[in-house]
Formats: sequence, C-alpha cells, structure tokens
Amino acid sequence: MPAGVGIPRALLYYYYYPLWKEFFKTLGCEVIISDKTNKAILNDGLSHCVDEACLPVKLAFGHVLNLAAKKVDYIFIPRLVSVAKGEYICPKFLGFPDMVKHSLTGLPEIIDVTINMRLKHRELSKAYTQVGKLFTGNRVKIWQAYRRGEKALKRYNQLLLEGCLPEEAFAVMEGKQKQSKLNSHDLKIAVIGHPYNIYDPYISMNIIKRLNSMGARVVTADQLPEEVVRREAANLPKKLFWTLGQRMVGAGYSFVKDNNIDGIINIVAFACGPDSMTGELIARSSRKAGQTPFLNLTLDEHTGEAGVVTRIEAFLDMVRWKKSQQAAGLGSA
Amino acid sequence: MTGYLGIDVGSVSTNIVFMNEDNHVLESIYLRTQGQPVKTLQLGLKKLAESLPASTVIKGVGTTGSARHLSAVMVGADVVKNEITAHAVAALQQVPGVQTVLEIGGQDSKIIILRKGVVADFAMNTVCAAGTGSFLDQQAGRLNIPIEEFGALALKARTPVRIAGRCAVFAESDMIHKQQMGFELPDILAGLCEALVRNYLNNVGKGKEILEPVVFQGGVAANIGMRKAFEKELGLKINIPRYYNVMGALGAALLAKEAAAKGNATRFKGFRVADMNFSTGSFECSGCPNMCEVIEISEEGTVIARWGDRCGRWSNALAREQVQIS
Repeated sequence: MPAGVGIPRALLYYYYYPLWKEFFKTLGCEVIISDKTNKAILNDGLSHCVDEACLPVKLAFGHVLNLAAKKVDYIFIPRLVSVAKGEYICPKFLGFPDMVKHSLTGLPEIIDVTINMRLKHRELSKAYTQVGKLFTGNRVKIWQAYRRGEKALKRYNQLLLEGCLPEEAFAVMEGKQKQSKLNSHDLKIAVIGHPYNIYDPYISMNIIKRLNSMGARVVTADQLPEEVVRREAANLPKKLFWTLGQRMVGAGYSFVKDNNIDGIINIVAFACGPDSMTGELIARSSRKAGQTPFLNLTLDEHTGEAGVVTRIEAFLDMVRWKKSQQAAGLGSA
Repeated sequence: MTGYLGIDVGSVSTNIVFMNEDNHVLESIYLRTQGQPVKTLQLGLKKLAESLPASTVIKGVGTTGSARHLSAVMVGADVVKNEITAHAVAALQQVPGVQTVLEIGGQDSKIIILRKGVVADFAMNTVCAAGTGSFLDQQAGRLNIPIEEFGALALKARTPVRIAGRCAVFAESDMIHKQQMGFELPDILAGLCEALVRNYLNNVGKGKEILEPVVFQGGVAANIGMRKAFEKELGLKINIPRYYNVMGALGAALLAKEAAAKGNATRFKGFRVADMNFSTGSFECSGCPNMCEVIEISEEGTVIARWGDRCGRWSNALAREQVQIS
C-alpha cells in the first residue's frame, strides 16, 4: 500500500501545492489534502493553537488536525525559513512545525524538512532529497520526482500569469477545461493579501466570488510576473526582507500605476505584523499617485460577514461613482 | 401628494423619512430599535401613515442600515444600499460641496471623504465601539444625567480633564478615578467628549485628509459637547445638517427617487405592512461542517426570505420557488 502523505490546505499550499503533489506522487505516495476550510476546522485550530499566533497559523492547526483524522501516514509541513536569496518567510512559518509537534499529540509522522534558500538556491534540492529518502533509496528517482515537481510548479505559475486564480489553475492542471472569462464585469479590482487569506473562501468571506457577483473582475498579486513585483518593490528606500510582503508591496505599487485597475482592496489578517506595515505602504502610494480607490479590510476569527459586505458594497459604489463622473467629465470636455 | 420613503434600521435607532418630489423631508421619524427591528419598523410605518394624508402615493422605497435586507423584504424596497453611500448621498444634498462627513451612530462610526461631489475614501470603525453613541448613553446613565443634557453640561466646563480615550473600558475607569479625585462633572463630561473625538480621529479618521465643509451627522451630532470638541480638535467649522439624525434614511429616499426616475414601478407593499404578521426564526443547517445559522423571515406564515447560508442552499432554494410561483 502506498504511503499516504497529508498536505494541509493552508499557509503556502496556494504557492507550492503543484510541486509537492507531483513530487510525492512520483515517489509513489498517495497525496491527501485536508478538506476545504469550514467552521469545524477553524474552531479546531483556534482551540489547539496558542493565542498569540495569527489567524492563518491557527487555521493551519485545524488543517493538520483534519489530516490526522484522515489517518494519513505522514503530514508534510516543511519548515520554511527562506525561499529566496537574502529574504525570509515569516518567523511564525519557521516555528510552525515545532508549534504543531509540541501542542498536538497523537499525530502521524511529521515531515518538517527545513527549506532555507537565504544563502544558496541549491539548498532546495538538498531538502527534497532528504524528504525523498524517507520513501526510496534510489537517488535518481528522487531527482526525477523533484524535477517533475518543479515542472508542475512552473506550469502552475504560468497559468497564474495567464490570469487564472489558484483554484482554476489547480483544476486546469487536473485536466479540466479552462473557463473563459465572462465579460459581464464592468470593474477590475485588485485584491492584495497573503495567498492563504485571499484564496481561502471561508477566511476571506468568499471575497473573490462576492466581487465577481457584484460585477468586478479580480486580479491578484500572484498574477504579476516576478520581475515586475521586484522592480516595483525596489522603489522602497530599504529592501523588504519578507518575501511575501515584498510581493504585496511590489504588486500594490504596480496596480496603483495601472490605469486598468479601478480599485485596490488590501486584505490583512489581524495580528499579522508584516501586514500592518505593507498595508500602510500601499495605502500611502495609492493616495499619493492620484487616488486609485483603496480599501483596507481586516479579517480575524470574530469578523462578521455583515461588516465586510457593507464595506465592499460601499467601496464598489464609490469606484463606480467616480468612474461615471470621470466618464461624464470626459464627455463634456 | 407623491413622494419617497427612506428607511434606516440600525443597531440603536430606526429612522424613516418621507420626502416629496422636491427632495424636501415632510415627515421624519426617529425611534429606538431596542433589539426589535421588525416591531420598531412596523411602529414607525404606522406613525408615518397616520401623519400623512390618506391620498399619499409612495413612488419608491429605499432601505439602509444594518437591517437593510430585513427591512427591504418586509416593506418591498426598490433600493437596498449600504450606509456609507446613503449617508454620502444625503450629506451632498444637504450641504452641497461637502468634503468631509463625520458620522457617529449608535454602534458604529464612519468618516466619508468626498471630493468633487463623489466619495473618494471612507472608513468605518473596526473592532472597537469606543466613542459611539452607545458608550455616551451608558456613561450618561452611570452619571445619572439624561443624555439630552449631556452636551449642554459639557459646555459649562472650564478646564476639561484629560481622559484616556483609547478604549471604552479604560475611559470609564479613568472617569471614575477623576470623579473620586474631585473634578467637577462638566469638566469630566467635556473631557470625555474630547477623548472620544481623539479616539475617532485616531482610529476611524486615521490618515484621512479632513477638509471643509465638514458635516457632522448621526445621532451623536445632537450632543453639542461633541461638536465643540471636534471644532477645537480640528480647528474647522462643523456643520450639523437639519436632519442630522435621519441622514441615512434621507439618503435611502434620495436613492429610491433616483431608481424610480428610471421608470420602474415601486415594489412597496403599502402601509398595511405595519399590521401584517412577520416572524423571524433561525435554524442551524446540518448540510456540512460549516453549520451555518440560517435566518428565515415569514410574512403571514409564508417564508419570504432566507439568508445566512454560505453555500446558498437555502436562500437559492427559496428564490427558485418564488420564480416558479410567479
């Protein structure tokens, strides 16, 4: 029977799932993802995680527990220290495997390999080799699995660049037809936020679908090429060493300049340190650069849907109002 | 006579206005919601019907406030709008050229920045209700003074005391402390107003460019102490529009008029709504682990609306049934 490897549908799942899945599949494992976030998973996470952690980490606890209940043989929660040279991932990610191991009991074996590419990119393949050894002694096979994983990730990132959102991209990679974009939208709204906040429909109060149904097409930071993000983020007086924060700020700066973007919504998880700063940086640039309408939404486990809906409705009203005024102004001029 | 209804059902107050074709408010009703939005709205409609001539024709209805969806299905509204837009529309009509709207209601507060006649930015209070009407109410109750006299008393202050306004709980303990030390009541009240204004400007108004004309609306605008505190802190003239406490409802009426101008007949069920039997109920759906609390609104025993389900299983089912019936 193949070994069952569980992957939590949380944290950087939305960045690396295609790689991880392909890697473990090639090694002959069965890949199991935790269920989509629901009230039970969130509550489980809240009651098992330390209070000081941020909402995404608490939620990730819930997903680990969900996998444990599925009786998987392993749970894959790599210790993500750094995924780019000279940069870091949030320290809460770094400590996540330890937090899990010390606060939860009766878990299957945890694969918590360290991924630290701060100094050398080569560290990445080393880390995967270490994981591969758990399942096979054949180094060629591990190498093949890693290469196939990388290829899958490349395809995934390409789909994002082509305008897919993660769920669509996952579906396309599973062989489903790419859905053509409906043209019934009159607005284009950029949604900026950590992938595990904005793409998780439960946590984000379904913001993407909600915006769609209110007539707005959504673009996100992850659909921008890496070069653009880095070029824009380089406008900061000092380099941001958070990889994720850099993507958000870089994307924010790029969206502010883009005349096709009608408004920017920044989604912040309550108790996220880096977010509190990146949000402000983007807000300032949107104010300075000539007023791309900007909305800041803070989410936590207590957030009522009503407050979010009211703000989104008011925001879209504001964007449309401004647009129609500009159109009228152009017409009369 | 023809005109439009604007309904604003909020956490603390339920407001209804009747506006004629010239955008004049002919009737306005301000009631305390007291946790009973359905009954209060019915009471308000009844009062309004009594004060309007029997020949009055309602050409459009707009609802806003946190119970806007509930009130919309009850009365048959043509427009359902969020509070920000409704307040902005009303402020623009009352004070043309307004650039800043400060709004403090029962449990929420907001700031709306307008430029060239459109909303350019806004913010609402987030996790904290310090500095809203409910807190002022509560403190007035604790100090044994009617809320209506709060503002006038605060104006008598000679040296307002400094009160920590960051948090309502701390503000209260700070006030008690100042009382025990022997400060005079007017000084404490004025100090509280200043603390609330600071809190508002630091939280809701953070980073916003406040330019004149400034309009202060919402129930708390009745408190002259708060107005003075804003004027002192901002160094700007603060306008309080005539209908300051029903601005949301006025905005909803204006939006209803705009919708009616497009030629659509109103969906208003008539003032008989006041005498109908409405009931609300809720149940926990067991369809998935989300366990959504679904709310059902019934009119004369027939379910007319459902919401609260994340997946749409219940709300959509009802919509389908209604399509089949009609």
